[in-house]
Amino acid sequence: MAEVVLQGVSKSYQGKPTVHAVDLAVADKEFMVLVGPSGCGKSTTLRMIAGLEDITAGRLLIDGRDVTHAEPQKRDIAMVFQSYALYPHMTAYRNMAFGLLKTSSLSKPEIDRRIREAAEILHITHLLERKPNVLSGGERQRVAIGRALVRQPKVFLFDEPLSNLDAKLRTHMRGELKRLHKELGLTVIYVTHDQIEAMTLGTRVAILSDGRLQQVGAPMDLYMRPQNTFVATFIGSPEMSLLRCAMKPNGSGSVVSHPAFTTHVPERADAGEILLGVRPEEVIVGPADGTALACGRVDRTELIGSEALAEIVVGADRLVARTPVTKVPPLGAEVGISFDMERVRVFDAASGRVLSRL
Amino acid sequence: MVTGPALRARVSEAGLAYLLLLPSLVFLATFTYWPILRSIYFSFHDVVLGSNKIYFLGFENYERLWTDKLFWKSLGNTVFYTLVTIPCAITVALLLAVALDSKLRGMTFYRSAFFYPVMIPSVAAGMVWVFLYAPGYGPINSAIAALGLPKVEWLYDARWALPAIIFMSIWKYAGYFMLILLAALQMIPADLHEAAKLDGVSAIDRLIHITVPLISPTLYFVIIIGLLHSYQIFDYVYVMTQGGPADATNVLTFYIYQNGFQYQDIGYASTLANVLLLFVGGLITLVALVFGRRVHYLGR
Ligand SMILES: Nc1ncnc2c1ncn2[C@@H]1O[C@H](COP(=O)(O)OP(=O)(O)OP(=O)(O)O)[C@@H](O)[C@H]1O
Ligand SMILES: [Mg+2]
Repeated sequence: MAEVVLQGVSKSYQGKPTVHAVDLAVADKEFMVLVGPSGCGKSTTLRMIAGLEDITAGRLLIDGRDVTHAEPQKRDIAMVFQSYALYPHMTAYRNMAFGLLKTSSLSKPEIDRRIREAAEILHITHLLERKPNVLSGGERQRVAIGRALVRQPKVFLFDEPLSNLDAKLRTHMRGELKRLHKELGLTVIYVTHDQIEAMTLGTRVAILSDGRLQQVGAPMDLYMRPQNTFVATFIGSPEMSLLRCAMKPNGSGSVVSHPAFTTHVPERADAGEILLGVRPEEVIVGPADGTALACGRVDRTELIGSEALAEIVVGADRLVARTPVTKVPPLGAEVGISFDMERVRVFDAASGRVLSRL
Repeated sequence: MVTGPALRARVSEAGLAYLLLLPSLVFLATFTYWPILRSIYFSFHDVVLGSNKIYFLGFENYERLWTDKLFWKSLGNTVFYTLVTIPCAITVALLLAVALDSKLRGMTFYRSAFFYPVMIPSVAAGMVWVFLYAPGYGPINSAIAALGLPKVEWLYDARWALPAIIFMSIWKYAGYFMLILLAALQMIPADLHEAAKLDGVSAIDRLIHITVPLISPTLYFVIIIGLLHSYQIFDYVYVMTQGGPADATNVLTFYIYQNGFQYQDIGYASTLANVLLLFVGGLITLVALVFGRRVHYLGR
């Protein structure tokens, strides 16, 4: 069992608040991803869990035990650093053995067995006698993971472990990490700024912005039901377009009016400014005739493999539409657009919060 | 093949390089190599300072070394001084550097405080310590008396004079070594220590197995520099004890000085200087053989 609970965990550097009262519960065997833009406090949060940074306020529980002020080694966690942090003067084998030799009561054969086993899993058996400087980035990464594995800790912490790898290797290692997590039943807290990495790896994803937790949920949940405009635009690529509209209650829902169109949404709220959130795949591009909701002009198109993206100017706003390659509208063309109204979301323009659907 | 103007350009480039090197070569030759050659020449002669008279002696000066008790004593003192001062100073410096390599407040102050002795001219430092060690009114003896221990005559006691000089030398060297080691410590990526900390590796184990190997090139450098400095010890002996009491602090350089400038025996002084040079050369080679291989250069 390994369960990590953050209760109002906060961090201030020299009185400057950096992480604001984060509440997060990571379940046993869960792969929790902390994601957010650079400088939002992901590393700080992870380092507080590791015990490398003091917790300014709040509580941290691992398996129900309060470890808020416990020394790092008392928390039974292992961390894989972005820089790998391998000891440069030790072989891969010694890197993995060092911590166990110095701190555990395990016998040498037992340590050896664990290292061979981890090496087997990570396919690095043939590299064990090499020093880090002759290993490639991906190999160093595996050794660093191996060093964490042999400890058999309750919780694994990863801080952007793949960001120094090239795109292909990154995809490969992502798959490996997923496999390890599943096969070995690890509890993982994983930091990244890459939302695609977050979405593909996490059983659940926690989104941070400016040191505040924005939303926690399964990847699909975050994609389909973002709680605010930050989450809505952070998750998904290309990002969701936000169209500024006025809203008036009408019947069971509301009427939404944009300079270029007027439509009806099921959400209800007091009259005011709202942002209509539309993902590229929710935009339907057609001929500019009466059947379309609004008209726009194609400003830019971009081929992305099997599909294309078209940037369309609608009134004062721009939105991105996803179209099949065979139906890319020509640049400058007037096109008609409609939305998949079942899926568009409505956000309060002032607070950025999503308006709930009735 | 290089032809015509290209060749000329290359030749003139090399010529320019030699031209620029010339002043320092002349300087080195005049003040280093020529004196070394002269001292080798002198060591086979009886030279009287101030006169042009010079008599060939063959190996007589070198034979004299074997029976010269004072030579062996001063050599022994030099070795003892070096082998105690340098390891102690480096150990103190390393511990200080590790302690100061933290992000706590006030560290800049401590760094300057520990470096301060380095900036004091050695003659001035010697005078200060003569006062500190003074048998009657010296603060060190006062402190010892306050602790209820018997007073020591320090620089006037043959048993304590050399240890007293060693102690002040450690005080003087440690700050210098500390600064160099501190710079090396700060090159070690913080996450290496963090990774070890997470593994529960103790501070002592981290010092021995991570810090020391990673600063080994600098440690090696400091050992060599320390040896080169310490065998030349002269100023403290000159200022504080004049080699006394009973030659307890007579070291090779001071003995050379005595022979050359007090007894005016340049031939024998040159012989001693050559022996010292050989001795130091041997010591450095030994250190290079023992430690040189173990140095780990960060292969990144
Ligand atoms: N030791 C420190 N002292 C003062 N401020 C710090 C310290 N460490 C981090 N910060 C600040 O705290 C904020 C969060 O830093 P953190 O390293 O957690 O960001 P991050 O989300 O990991 O970003 P990145 O994706 O770039 O790694 C940043 O604004 C950073 O400047
Ligand atoms: Mg970070």
